[in-house]
Amino acid sequence: MNCSCGVGKRIKDFVKSALFLDFIKGMHVTLGYLFSKSITIRYPDEEKWIPYQRFRGRHTLNMTSEGKELCVACELCSKACPTDCITVIPMEDDTGIGITDRVAKVWKVDLVRCLFCGYCEDACPTRAVRLSREYELSTTDISRTKFEKRELLLPESVPEQVHGGGIAKAKFVRSKDGIKIVANLGKMKKMRW
Amino acid sequence: MIDLALIITIIIMVVKVGLLTMILFSLPMPLTWIERKVAGHIHARLGPFRVGPHGIMQPMADTVKLLFKEDIVPEKADKLIFKLAPLIAMIPAFAVFVAIPVGGTWTVPFIDQEMNLYVTDMNVGLLYILAMGGLGIYGIIFGGWASNSKYALLGGMRSAAQMISYEVALSFAAVGVVMMSNSLSLVDIVNTQGGGFWNWNFFYLPVGPVWFFIFIIAGSAEINRIPFDLAEDEGTLAAGFHTEYSGMKFSFFMLAEYIALVTVSVLAVVLFFGGWNPPIDYTIPFVPIAFIWLFWFVIKVSVFIYMFMWVRFTLPRYRYDQLMNIGWKILIPISLVNILITGFMRI
Repeated sequence: MNCSCGVGKRIKDFVKSALFLDFIKGMHVTLGYLFSKSITIRYPDEEKWIPYQRFRGRHTLNMTSEGKELCVACELCSKACPTDCITVIPMEDDTGIGITDRVAKVWKVDLVRCLFCGYCEDACPTRAVRLSREYELSTTDISRTKFEKRELLLPESVPEQVHGGGIAKAKFVRSKDGIKIVANLGKMKKMRW
Repeated sequence: MIDLALIITIIIMVVKVGLLTMILFSLPMPLTWIERKVAGHIHARLGPFRVGPHGIMQPMADTVKLLFKEDIVPEKADKLIFKLAPLIAMIPAFAVFVAIPVGGTWTVPFIDQEMNLYVTDMNVGLLYILAMGGLGIYGIIFGGWASNSKYALLGGMRSAAQMISYEVALSFAAVGVVMMSNSLSLVDIVNTQGGGFWNWNFFYLPVGPVWFFIFIIAGSAEINRIPFDLAEDEGTLAAGFHTEYSGMKFSFFMLAEYIALVTVSVLAVVLFFGGWNPPIDYTIPFVPIAFIWLFWFVIKVSVFIYMFMWVRFTLPRYRYDQLMNIGWKILIPISLVNILITGFMRI
């Protein structure tokens, strides 16, 4: 009984290999992939990935709609930071009264040390410091890895409202600071995972 | 006094050889691009895309890069053989094409001259091709030996052993074709297959398909392509016999490899799929028959080249003992039996 099973299996295997059945199966699989859609994101040339809202990229400092800085220089972000990459030096400006006078004289982040954990964001009582969706941080100039308040206050390249998680058409923009890939946020399609 | 007709014959032959060499030299460029595109699409990628539209200029960029790369000769290498090996690998690959016909004899309109769409019609063409194809292995083993590196040497050795064992099966397949067509001349072999696809050697049932599969398996082992590319098994041997080569010397090996790929595809077409014969004989008014021949020849060869690439990105590599088993224990006994059957059928 056992023996006949073995013979049957051997005959089956022989027929299988004589007719190249496994080979044909494999070729069929690769042929299917050949005509499937490519999953490549043509990143620097034509397309760019827009991350989800939860993405933690470079820091930004936010302002109120009247243009007043939200940051009150409480230094909680700097204290919460596990890698000590945020430097905050407070000062009092002459516009307000009480606690709202306090603004940051220096608000500096060293992105080489930052590990993008988001603790600063959680610690911030006024939601002034947020981690934006800016992820093109590579540079050939080491001084470009430290960001001052002036730059961090600029509006984000991907606004808070944009949902994200897709691929947008993009184009190359060269400037003296280096190359940036500017995405056209209007046309975004879902990721083809 | 020299005969004018002789001079013209010689000039025509030189022009043909020059044209053939030029085509063969330029052929690997699009082939590398196509291979990378096929690889990309099978991996659900795009392949080269940045140089030119759809990356079509990528081979040019690669050539420029290879030309400007430093040409390193290892200090302890056998300098002369090391420099000679790429050429030794390349020359037989080119020499094979002298005997390969891309079309029959064609009467040129307006001048009423007969023209052969092949360089020579040797009466032992098939033997010549097998002999020349066998020589290509010297380039590989010289390169492996002269590099003075263990990986290169092992790659060269493996390749030699593999080629010798598969040469036998390949020659048997050629013998089968000779038995089916009653000639060693490639032009005659193609001519006997004319008149429609049912005359092709592949459809010489039941032995034709068996000969074809023996030929294509042994052929892909002969040209070191996956699943038989043990000579350059990157998992265990770095890059095999060309580990130590760089720049143009490396590109000569690549050139030889791609031309060998074309050679095997062309041979498969000529021996089994009727060469330049269209599947069903037809003529189109005002279109010279030579164009129809060339069209079908190119189409068939491209199908085979594409198939080799497709297989490359489908199958994994065989282990060395499996390779030897397939060669000696399967292909050669099958071809012996097949010779017997073919012989009985031809009586």
